[in-house]
Amino acid sequence: MIRVELSKLLRSRRTWTTVLLIDALPTLVGVLLAVTDLGPRPGEGPAFLSAVLTDGTLFPLAALAIVLPLFLPIAVSVTAGEAIAGEAAAGTLRYVLVRPVGRLRLLVAKLVAAMAFVVLTVLVVAATAYVVGVTLLGDQSVQVVGSTSVSGTSLSTPELVGRTFLALGYAMLCMLGVAAIALFLSTVASSSLGAALGTMSIFVGSSLLLTLDASEAIRDYLPTRYWLAFVDLFRDPILWRDLQAGVILQGTYVAVFFAAAWANFATKDVTE
Amino acid sequence: MTPLRRWSLVALVAALVILAPLLPRLLPASASDVTAAELLSRVQTSGERAYSGYVETDGAVQLAVGDDFSDLAELFGDRMRLRVWWQDEDAWRVNRLLLSGEEDLVHDGERTTSYDYERARAVTSRDPEIRLPRTSDLVPPSMGRITTDGAGAEEVSRLPARRIAGVSAPGLRLEPTSEQTTIDHVDLWVDEDTGLALRVEVYAGASSTPVLTTAFREFSAAAPEPAQVADTWSGQVERDFDDTVDLADAANQYAPFRVPRRVAGLERRTAGNGAVGVYGTGVTRLIAVPLREGDADDLRESLLGSPAAVATDAGTLLAVGPVSVFLTSEGFSYVLAGTVTDETLLRAAEDIVAGVRLRGRFE
Amino acid sequence: MSGDTAIRTQGLTKYFGRFEAVSDLSLDVREGDVYGFLGANGSGKTTTVRMLLGLVLATSGEIEVLGRPMPRSGREVLPHVGSMIEGPAAYAHLSGRANLTLFDAMAPRSRRTGRKDRVEETLDRVGLGGVDERPVKNYSLGMRQRLGLAAALLRRPRLLVLDEPTNGLDPQGIRDIRALLLELNADGTTIFVSSHLLTEIEQLCTRVGVLDRGRMVVQEQLAVLRAPTGRILLGTPEPGAALAHLDRLGRSVEQHDDRRLAVRAPDAAQLNAELVRAGIGVDELSVERRSLEDVVLAATSGGNDTFARPSRDVQDAS
Repeated sequence: MIRVELSKLLRSRRTWTTVLLIDALPTLVGVLLAVTDLGPRPGEGPAFLSAVLTDGTLFPLAALAIVLPLFLPIAVSVTAGEAIAGEAAAGTLRYVLVRPVGRLRLLVAKLVAAMAFVVLTVLVVAATAYVVGVTLLGDQSVQVVGSTSVSGTSLSTPELVGRTFLALGYAMLCMLGVAAIALFLSTVASSSLGAALGTMSIFVGSSLLLTLDASEAIRDYLPTRYWLAFVDLFRDPILWRDLQAGVILQGTYVAVFFAAAWANFATKDVTE
Repeated sequence: MTPLRRWSLVALVAALVILAPLLPRLLPASASDVTAAELLSRVQTSGERAYSGYVETDGAVQLAVGDDFSDLAELFGDRMRLRVWWQDEDAWRVNRLLLSGEEDLVHDGERTTSYDYERARAVTSRDPEIRLPRTSDLVPPSMGRITTDGAGAEEVSRLPARRIAGVSAPGLRLEPTSEQTTIDHVDLWVDEDTGLALRVEVYAGASSTPVLTTAFREFSAAAPEPAQVADTWSGQVERDFDDTVDLADAANQYAPFRVPRRVAGLERRTAGNGAVGVYGTGVTRLIAVPLREGDADDLRESLLGSPAAVATDAGTLLAVGPVSVFLTSEGFSYVLAGTVTDETLLRAAEDIVAGVRLRGRFE
Repeated sequence: MSGDTAIRTQGLTKYFGRFEAVSDLSLDVREGDVYGFLGANGSGKTTTVRMLLGLVLATSGEIEVLGRPMPRSGREVLPHVGSMIEGPAAYAHLSGRANLTLFDAMAPRSRRTGRKDRVEETLDRVGLGGVDERPVKNYSLGMRQRLGLAAALLRRPRLLVLDEPTNGLDPQGIRDIRALLLELNADGTTIFVSSHLLTEIEQLCTRVGVLDRGRMVVQEQLAVLRAPTGRILLGTPEPGAALAHLDRLGRSVEQHDDRRLAVRAPDAAQLNAELVRAGIGVDELSVERRSLEDVVLAATSGGNDTFARPSRDVQDAS
């Protein structure tokens, strides 16, 4: 079933359109930066963006910071929100279930497919951004080996690559949390739009609550709390505190919401 | 499995993962029979102790003091996340974590280098005689020493121990006897072995919530690796040297004034005869800094932007929580600020205006 | 094989909230049957079909499909069941071929080898063998119906459960499907067809169950339901003479108009001989059977999608 879901994902024109749309924004930002040479003022704009003018190899991270707060979670909400509700609306859910495909197996396959979408998108964004960063950005006249960490120390190229992949992995995990929430809502809502909007309102609401002092008590439980903690990988030494908390938090969200999806879907009447 | 059982299972898992992180807080702190006076002296003499850790601060003093002092406003009015590696007074690094960058202070002997990731710049300056507060003053051990400076045994009492960053820390309450301070009391929880304050809460007036809290979330009393406190910036960081650390230092060095030895009954803390004066001890403290006309006008405008500001013939007064700021309007502009009562600050301002002497260029 | 039950339910009941969709239903479908499940729209047919396939969970009652309890044994039972529920459905952006390939791959323990052949063969069976790679969203209603049937037939099921299988087909298509189903049945496939079209059931089925407002009102062999009524329908150019002659013979004529008579008589041949002997011409003669429509109308209480207001006028008039 997982293979079926993956094949459906890769053959859907919408998947590729979404990936390209998400990819377009950081690419546009990169091109504009290269043409105008106007970086954001220090302390403003997404993480790493002010640094890419001198070091193009950091652009994949800047691109990640651009798409992670909004674009990527929206795309994941839509994709995962469609998982059950979309099949139900198209009428194919009943045919899938009488194949028979076990309900738990279907949920797992849907989550894996959503994850595959995230991996695909993140890798495409990172790869495009790397190409843009290296060819258009960066100050090629200064030949410096390696890059600079957020703490100002030197990072060798292997270190930079390793940490970049850790950051990509971390971002993917955060999106898995979103996918699990969307999957749960997809078993509840009768339309995939409802599931997607529900998921979006959860992470937009969470981002809003994070800015309020009054929400102090629940801060550390909010799903978006540690999303941008991948920046900590580029400090020297690496600050593991938030990353660890983020991994545990996202793992918890995945576990709880996937369990809830299962609890709701296992005996749900399929009447569409 | 019935739906009820399944949902019960989900609820159980959810409850477990919500409660699990709360469990360590239930671990009781072990009581300690160290006396208040003993604990106080350990805090006051903890300067050479090594440590490292992760600190969170939370300030509630919203100072409306304009762009020139915005760093200061952040220090006392915002949340900050700090990493600190402290070998001794001469070698330390305090690393302020920002969402998408960081600011470092690296101290080496008599020089401090401040690094800003977003600007990709590291600026070194020699340690000044007088400077404004900075992040390294907000780490709990520094705060502990600053607030208890000059405090006597009659001003402190013991509080029950609390677990701070995993360490069972006996508590100490400082209730200043001075009538001039706006600080009601300061609560400290201290690592008993080293005397390092692990958590400091500053209270003003009758409020039950602190105006400033600084506490370790992770703490180690082991000496940090030498590499952690060395400055090792990469070649892409622009290096620079600055004669002055901040506005107060600049004024102290270059303004042609000399402040009096004592204002409002408070002694000057610094021996030098510069244009800037720091007066008082512990939590009864104020600073007087001369401003250039343009800077003074900007500051006056900022102060008057706050509805709490009071303008008199002598100057403009703004009290925010425990901090009072007064900007004189006669002759030369001095700004005075401190954790002292309004009367004390106004008296101090009169004394400054009356007592400032012009300094000869080659004096 | 024949005689074993293919589907059996006992006391099957389903509530949606407080609405009782299916009430104490006992189905009995034997292997080899072509079973017609009749009922007006909204009578609970589809809910029943969904319960048989484990899509909707019964509030109470037992279901057995191919001798195993459902939905508990769905993993073992469903691979042998092909189904079409409430119209066909497919992934609209893919071709019919791609859809069948996906559906084939979904099934547990489905093998990749021979998948292409299975798909082509099934497409041939439903008359879509020559279809191009256009996506399903460009299919006509009839093509979709055929594709849905193909998906049901993909794994050579022992039991076919079809809900309104000829919906949207033209007369030729209906005939094709009927022929296909009869052929499958001849090969041993049990077929369970639910429909609201009486003629369709009448032409196809060997056994009939009639559902009315969630309750089974009739369940019988079609041949039994359509037993002779004991009357003979007679056409004659001289109805007056025929009427008079039959009256003399003591036969009761229950209905007549200016061309035809309905006569209560056990034997058509004998009746014919009596009339011909009397010199009365007979140009039409047939044994009257009850139509399925009569049976259904007699057993049910009218459409299930009408909700007539309890009439006040009637009470006033009485």
